[in-house]
Amino acid sequence: MNANASNRNTLRNFGFAFEELFIFTALLLLIVFFSLATDNFFSTGTLRAILTQLPALTVITIGMTLVLISGGIDLSVGSVVALSGTVIGVAYAEFEWPLTLAAPLGVFAGGCAGLINGVLGSYFRLPIFIVTLGMLEASRGLAYMATASQTVYIGASIQSLSTPIVGTGLSISFLVAFSSVIGAQLMLTRTVFGRYLIAIGTNQQAAKISGIKVEPYVTAVLFISGLLAGLGGVMNTSYLGASDPNAGIGLELSAIAAAVIGGTSLMGGRGSIIGAFIGVLIISVLQNGLAQLGVSEPFKRLITGMVIILAVLLDRWRGR
Amino acid sequence: MIPRITIKGISKRFAAPVLRSVQLNLGAGKIHGLVGENGAGKSTLINIISGLLPADEGSLQINGLPFTPKTRRHALDAGIALASQELSLIENLSVAENVFLAHLPQTVLTIDTEMTHLKTRELLQALGTENIYPQTTIASLSLAQKQQVELAKALSMAEANCQLLIMDEPTSALTEFQAARLHDILKKLAGNGLSILYVSHRLEDVLNVCDEVSVLREGAIQLTAQSGSLSSEGLIKLISGDELFETLIDSRSDKGPLRLSVKEFSSDIFPEPISLECYRAEILGIAGLAGSGRSELLHSMFGLAEILTGTVNFYNDGRSIEIRSVEDAVAHGFALVPEDRKSQGIFRTKSIAMNITAAGLSRLGSVFSAVLPKREIAVSEELIDRLKVKCEGPLQQIDSLSGGNQQKVMLARWMEHDASIWLLDEPTRGVDVAAKLAIHNQLRELRDKGAAMIIVSNELEELTALCDRILVLSKNRHVATFERGEWNKESLLKAAFSGYLGKIND
Repeated sequence: MNANASNRNTLRNFGFAFEELFIFTALLLLIVFFSLATDNFFSTGTLRAILTQLPALTVITIGMTLVLISGGIDLSVGSVVALSGTVIGVAYAEFEWPLTLAAPLGVFAGGCAGLINGVLGSYFRLPIFIVTLGMLEASRGLAYMATASQTVYIGASIQSLSTPIVGTGLSISFLVAFSSVIGAQLMLTRTVFGRYLIAIGTNQQAAKISGIKVEPYVTAVLFISGLLAGLGGVMNTSYLGASDPNAGIGLELSAIAAAVIGGTSLMGGRGSIIGAFIGVLIISVLQNGLAQLGVSEPFKRLITGMVIILAVLLDRWRGR
Repeated sequence: MIPRITIKGISKRFAAPVLRSVQLNLGAGKIHGLVGENGAGKSTLINIISGLLPADEGSLQINGLPFTPKTRRHALDAGIALASQELSLIENLSVAENVFLAHLPQTVLTIDTEMTHLKTRELLQALGTENIYPQTTIASLSLAQKQQVELAKALSMAEANCQLLIMDEPTSALTEFQAARLHDILKKLAGNGLSILYVSHRLEDVLNVCDEVSVLREGAIQLTAQSGSLSSEGLIKLISGDELFETLIDSRSDKGPLRLSVKEFSSDIFPEPISLECYRAEILGIAGLAGSGRSELLHSMFGLAEILTGTVNFYNDGRSIEIRSVEDAVAHGFALVPEDRKSQGIFRTKSIAMNITAAGLSRLGSVFSAVLPKREIAVSEELIDRLKVKCEGPLQQIDSLSGGNQQKVMLARWMEHDASIWLLDEPTRGVDVAAKLAIHNQLRELRDKGAAMIIVSNELEELTALCDRILVLSKNRHVATFERGEWNKESLLKAAFSGYLGKIND
């Protein structure tokens, strides 16, 4: 038993560990189930559907997970996706900027929203929940204002980001999202910055007394979440081929669900980016699989909800 | 005549015995004083009588009938009211709602606000308070005002079927005038037949207001006598005992140059400026009764408290650097080991290794520097060996360690940071004897290697065993400083009680 525990500890130390293994098994079981239950779950169609929808939710979930680990929450990400998208649409269609400038502008807009969240949440000591709730409304409003509530068509030029590169089946968006996962996981487990986020989320008082200045890190993590939501906006726009001010509604909840399924604690201090990524995969496999089974939309939501609760329940039991 | 409350052979032990066969009779209509130094067992006894703790042995009786309180509610229903030293007020409710929280006057369906306010006003008037109104919310009151509300709350319980009213340090935040008013009220209540147990550091108050006084030392009653036959001098002797301290062979090297100086420091908590100095290779102790401002003083040296006037300076090679924030302090090698290990010290659920390296990481240069698992484990293993932390290895969760071993990890955190100025608040609270000795030896070793150390402790024995100098606070004022060899327990206690004695204050 002792050997087991120390084994687990050794693994945990390297960031990629037991916890992820558990959730990864759950993902494999889900895939096996759907491939047995449906005729052509492994068709390229399904795979493409999953891979093209995935990147936006993935990068947003990375930001969300980091924020949750530091003890906060970012409710604004769904709206920021829409804000970023409409900024791109307006810059491209009205100001006729090239996409190489318009897309970074979308990311920049997300970063601004995140920075405002961060500064208000740390230096002004406002509750982060409330600040990001306000930003959820404000960003959505700005997105509607930017395009006068219309969808702005952009077209094929931006869609190339989410079209699979010939021969690999993977799009640029997916590659960017996947490398973000790896990068964020390394940052979380292997840098002082990541360690400080965990420390602050675990015990803010103890972190302060250990000489860690809390405010800059809380600001930084919300800024990162905003940037990633902006990037998610680029990916989403590219997937749609248009910027839609209605995009990303409720996305913050999917991101929280994915993080939680992946073992992140809403109380702060605990979580994993790899785990959250597997959480994203579980959600999208579940949704596509259920769709193939011909399950109705309401029933899909019922099952997704149950899976989220089941994941947390299992996590609680495992923790004991 | 049957006493109102009979306490028969009550014993209680936690790690060590805290109460040893305590015997007390509290008569109807009598005010009974209870005095003793920090850790003598007063709070434990109060908690047992008021149903917050079970006794290991012994029994209680009310009016000759056996009584074993299982919960606070149970004791309240039996007529035992408690005005606690730690406030039990709900910040967002009004004064009146707090006072009558347990028995709010009601009309058929709703709270009878008018009646509640009326009764509260009567109580507050009887207490002689000013500027506290029934409808005010608690959050907007000062500490002294909150304490008065706490008193009113206890008194409101006394109205209904009260047998015994326990007052734990009721006057610590009151002015002389308010205290006198309170004492008049207590006498009146006792005149109506209520029994009162009056626990206080203010010996003069105890002698003035109480009919009888008991002295508790090391969990045992030393004496119960009529207050008329006692003096505060005599009480201090009884409280301290006549025991001699172990005089340790002083093997330490001479103290070095000045490392830390606090100049004319004052704040909301410290009305009179305090200055102190700590030298290289010196352990300075801060003694004082609970609530005398010891921890606050330590925190302000670490940049954690608001400073009104004065400066905290760090000296290195004759250069002086002012400390303005926690980050400054840590960057210049200050270490704080906080009193409340759980909420301010450790990172729960995390590994020993992470707990050890939390402070030292700041030296790695940039926040994007890599944390190297191998280095962390090596560093932690070395410190675990040096401090003899009992554990499975550096990756074990800190939660599963005993208090003493957790405390060793706290020391390890700052040793890893190469701290040169150590501020320790109750370094061995809740720690078993073996770990305590190990921690003491480690602190001496650090001192001998040149650390400047300031220790706050409730236990005089701990301070006299470790310190080269002891500074005594009483009622948030610096009242005395003793060099090693100049002190004995009586002189230290006398200084600690001095702020609470005469009418020099307020």
